[in-house]
Amino acid sequence: MKKFFAVVKHEYKKIVLRWAFLLGTLLFPVLGLCFAFVPALIFSIKGEPTRIVIVDPSNKIAPRLRSNLSTEAVAEKNSETVKTLPVNLHSSQTDRIKDGARSAAEEFIFVDYSAAGKTPDQIRKELTEKAVAKEIDAYLLIPVNFEAPDAKFEFLSRKAGDFVAGDQLKDALNQAVRSQRLADANIDEKAVRNLMKDVDLDSKSIDEKGREKDSGALLAASFVVGLMIYLTLTIYGQIILGAVVEEKETRIAEILFSSARPFELMLGKLVGVGLAGLTQLGIWVVSLSVIVAFVAVQADLSPLLVGLPHITPLMVLYFLLFFLLGYFLYASIFALIGSMVTTVQEGGQFAFPPIMILLTGFYLSFAVIRDPNSTLSFWASIAPFFAPITMPVRILAETPPFWQIALSIGTNVLAIAFVVWLASRVYRVGMLMYGKRATIPEVLKWIRQA
Amino acid sequence: MSTNDVTLRVENVTKRFGEFTAVDDLSFDVRAGRVFGFLGPNGAGKTTTIRMIVGITAPDEGSIELFGQRMSARMQDRVGYLPEERGLYKKMKVVDQLRYFAALKDIAGAEADRRIDKWLERMGLAEWKTKKTTDLSKGMQQKIQFISTVLHDPDLLILDEPFSGLDPVNVEFMIDVLAEFKTKEKTVIFSTHLMETAERLCHDILLINRSKKVIGGSLREVKSSYRKNLISLRAVGGEEVLDDNNYIEKITEHADEKQILLGDGVDPQVLLRSLIDAGASVSKFEQIEPSLNDIFIDAVEG
Repeated sequence: MKKFFAVVKHEYKKIVLRWAFLLGTLLFPVLGLCFAFVPALIFSIKGEPTRIVIVDPSNKIAPRLRSNLSTEAVAEKNSETVKTLPVNLHSSQTDRIKDGARSAAEEFIFVDYSAAGKTPDQIRKELTEKAVAKEIDAYLLIPVNFEAPDAKFEFLSRKAGDFVAGDQLKDALNQAVRSQRLADANIDEKAVRNLMKDVDLDSKSIDEKGREKDSGALLAASFVVGLMIYLTLTIYGQIILGAVVEEKETRIAEILFSSARPFELMLGKLVGVGLAGLTQLGIWVVSLSVIVAFVAVQADLSPLLVGLPHITPLMVLYFLLFFLLGYFLYASIFALIGSMVTTVQEGGQFAFPPIMILLTGFYLSFAVIRDPNSTLSFWASIAPFFAPITMPVRILAETPPFWQIALSIGTNVLAIAFVVWLASRVYRVGMLMYGKRATIPEVLKWIRQA
Repeated sequence: MSTNDVTLRVENVTKRFGEFTAVDDLSFDVRAGRVFGFLGPNGAGKTTTIRMIVGITAPDEGSIELFGQRMSARMQDRVGYLPEERGLYKKMKVVDQLRYFAALKDIAGAEADRRIDKWLERMGLAEWKTKKTTDLSKGMQQKIQFISTVLHDPDLLILDEPFSGLDPVNVEFMIDVLAEFKTKEKTVIFSTHLMETAERLCHDILLINRSKKVIGGSLREVKSSYRKNLISLRAVGGEEVLDDNNYIEKITEHADEKQILLGDGVDPQVLLRSLIDAGASVSKFEQIEPSLNDIFIDAVEG
């Protein structure tokens, strides 16, 4: 046992005391935050004000448009958008970027231009010349028959890529034309707006015990949990693969085998690296809780937290437990592969099948999030190899009865026992085979050998 | 010879890999406090035998006894093994690697650190203690590997090609270090291709070829059993004596002397007398003892 602990300590320190570990541990939350906030941040940076010429022969639209694009009007619109933003987790990334973009008040400078007595072609020609000379950035041509359904508005801009400005102008224009049409029809615009207001749909799901849960936030949290387990299993599996191949490549294995039993060495390695993984996950869980607690203290942001699903300490425990189950399953397989091959590159090719299985588990977790109580979700969260990802997701989405969790733990422990047994047989022989990669029949022979 | 004097007893050991028999019915004893040379060409089964001795693999047949007991995992702590194919962790500090190897032999804490410092000092590598493997030269790495095999002060030291990759100065240095082991009543088994080194260091030798034992015993015994009736002669005249094929089997001409292989049972004195009687002037007449190299080549090719 003493030697086993020596191996555990060695493997643990080898990973945890490296810069890469510290960096990875710190970087992951930072990256997560960046992923969430950077797009909004980037688009909140104001562009240069757009110098625009509005050609409106009717002179009915332009004044409305100007007032719609005024700073006050834009600010008011922004506050509305922000209110809906955090809840709006279903929206796609592009929508989010646009949301972020809208929160930025783009400034417009209206440049006077006299269009009197000029033909549309003349106007177009003159304004294009101005744009080319960089006197203006864009111009908008409002047709005389703007009330007509097929009326064609023309917007030409030097900064075609600036969809922020374009979007904002389009919104403002739509609103201006709509208001004018309503005014022409003698309808009170305010009354219409009140009548057309969106309902406030608060979407929540009810679990089997009748408690309400916020489905949007739940979806996000389940996804994060699934992703976290998937990523850590992949990363730590690769670490095991690399460590095993290194000992084989450098022939250290021979010295190790003359000092301790191969089984002790392999298990010590799995446990040591696993503890390192647990340390990293632990740091993440703790720091996440601290961040959440800190945000909660900041009074103005606390409304955001109300939407977060209720995570109990037991869930965290399950989460770590299933990480460990998955870790031992996959790490044993990676150890087996590492002892078969001769180089890390070769190992990479053989690592493909287990990674595919892991990925399948990750995808299955989406099915689990959608319907945690379906037959598919049940089997996916019981089956070995998938359960380490799908079960924690399911527990978070909607905690299944305890017997199912216990069954899932049971099947996976059995699978681990089998895989560790298999890996130890291959490891013992494979680690001393130099020169060429072992073939599958060879490996099968090693397993059968007493 | 009592059993207590025997550090290692290998009895009728056979190891097969599928159809291939790597070690075939091999038996030998290694006596305590002796340096034992384990010789043989590549692929003869040396590494397989050594792996069985250190408990990495088990023999299919036969038994291996260490210190009078059957080989077991517990016994591994009394053995230090330097494999032929060896290495170090690339990105780890020297001291950390040595601590790990010591811990695997059940030496830890301050005691391990004390021994590591002592050995690094002895090898002249004290200032490399906190350097990584990649910063060390090949010779330095070899020395670190050697330290890792002796840190736990083993009673039996097994060195597989310990001098490969070392420059002549370091080979001499390592031989000195090994000599200290000899005086400490430790047993050393070492396997090498360098017959001259083996001849210098070994009390006993075992030569194996194609999985089987060829010769074994003390260096003296082996040499005398292999002694051939070979004479080195430098003489003027007496050619007619040498032409007489009755007792001379073969004459090899060297630069200024001849090597004469006499027939079995022929007394060299008879040849010397005949030469003098024939009026030859003999300036050198020497019975040549075969070198280990000769024995090796003869055994392997013969």
